[in-house]
Amino acid sequence: MIIKTKNFRVSYGDKTILSHINIEVPAGQFLAVLGENGAGKTSFIKALTGENNQTQGLLTVNAKQIGYVPQFRDISRDYPLSITEFVGLNFNQGSRLWFTKTEKSAVEQALKRMDLTTLGNQRLGLVSGGQKQRAFVAQALVKNPDLLILDESTASLDHEHKVQLLENVRHLQREKNMTVLFITHEIKLVADFADGYLLFENGQVKQGSSDELQTLTTDLTTRHSEDEVRNV
Amino acid sequence: MFSYDFMQNAFIAGTIVSIVAGVIGTFVVARNYAFLTHSLSEIGFAGAAFGLWIGWPALLGMMIATSTASLAIGALESTYTKHDNVTSAVSALAIGMGILFLALGHTSSSAATGILFGSVLGISHRDLYLLITLAAIVLITLLFNYRALRQLSFDEAGIFLQTWKQKSVRYIFLIMIALSISISSQLVGSLLIFVLVTLPAASAKYYAKTTVQLIGMAITFALFGTWVGLTIAYLTDLPTSFFIAVIEVLIYLISVLQFKKNA
Repeated sequence: MIIKTKNFRVSYGDKTILSHINIEVPAGQFLAVLGENGAGKTSFIKALTGENNQTQGLLTVNAKQIGYVPQFRDISRDYPLSITEFVGLNFNQGSRLWFTKTEKSAVEQALKRMDLTTLGNQRLGLVSGGQKQRAFVAQALVKNPDLLILDESTASLDHEHKVQLLENVRHLQREKNMTVLFITHEIKLVADFADGYLLFENGQVKQGSSDELQTLTTDLTTRHSEDEVRNV
Repeated sequence: MFSYDFMQNAFIAGTIVSIVAGVIGTFVVARNYAFLTHSLSEIGFAGAAFGLWIGWPALLGMMIATSTASLAIGALESTYTKHDNVTSAVSALAIGMGILFLALGHTSSSAATGILFGSVLGISHRDLYLLITLAAIVLITLLFNYRALRQLSFDEAGIFLQTWKQKSVRYIFLIMIALSISISSQLVGSLLIFVLVTLPAASAKYYAKTTVQLIGMAITFALFGTWVGLTIAYLTDLPTSFFIAVIEVLIYLISVLQFKKNA
């Protein structure tokens, strides 16, 4: 198990955000992390990474290195750095002005894994949205994580690029036996890729298999379309 | 031109200031701190006026005022999202106080002009040593924190799992901005800090693709403006700051236009 919790509780100030979390994530799985905004997904991820320590109960994370792709990034058109340099920003310690050989090959590896080899020298500000997202993932990959967390990385992309990004990530997961937590609202999209899910709802976390995810998808999508009809 | 002691001093000082400004400017521009930098220079004016009033060197007053203010703004920034408003309020107060201190200290108008617009031709050997020491402190500190600072400036969103040392970089950076402003104001004055700290780095952004290239370009643009500006000022007997400002603004405009055309 790469992540295991027992009666785990996450708070923020005086408020309990999540309680009685009992999940077991085996290494090498691709899990969809689902739930409405404010359901506690980010709080839980922060607890996982050790950024939030207002927790109780048992939490074990057996990852040697965690890679994280944040939800928001403001990259304007005149953002100067090349994709290669951007990916290398993750080497964030020390005072060396240039990359070492190891770092350079790690960057090249990460670019290759996200199909960005030919774009390495392009300015990040001038590439397409899909290419930017792939560069963000590549940056998270550069330190060879065994646990990769993506926060709504497909949200701003068109359908074709969403699928492409998910395929890239799934390929990585299978090839490197990497555990992937994919935070998303696009349950229908991710259902074809995920081995299971974590559903954040009413202060609880439910874990389910990929079959259950399919059922959940039909369930949630029909419920949603009914809502829409009612709202009309 | 170089047979005069004051011109030699001016060129040495100009070179040092340009290097410091190019380096710090790269990170200032990347982190969108241009406005903060401008406000700090106004706060520096108040500090310098205060220094003259109570009999300190202007530079010391400036360093204390800018460092304190930058830390205060940095501390507020983590709780307030709209730090621009806080910054403008603080700088308005600073300018007001600067005028008050000038009046209280009966400071001569030439000293006041020196603070506001720089007095590079009046730089002495003693000033020069102080300048070199401060510049060395800034450059070594920045180099020591280079990678953490690079990530903070170019991709703050990507920072994840920070060590205590990396968290302290925000504040180290703010103090280094404050020191750099105090240093640069010796050359172009507190009103024109933009010209050396922000503009060359902002121009470099349109050509360079790596941090080292950005720094190199920013230094080159700053040095070019300073050297040419000093030379023309010497030949025409008009203010140096004016020529440096014109050259840097021109470089910036050409860079933006070229980028627009190509991108």
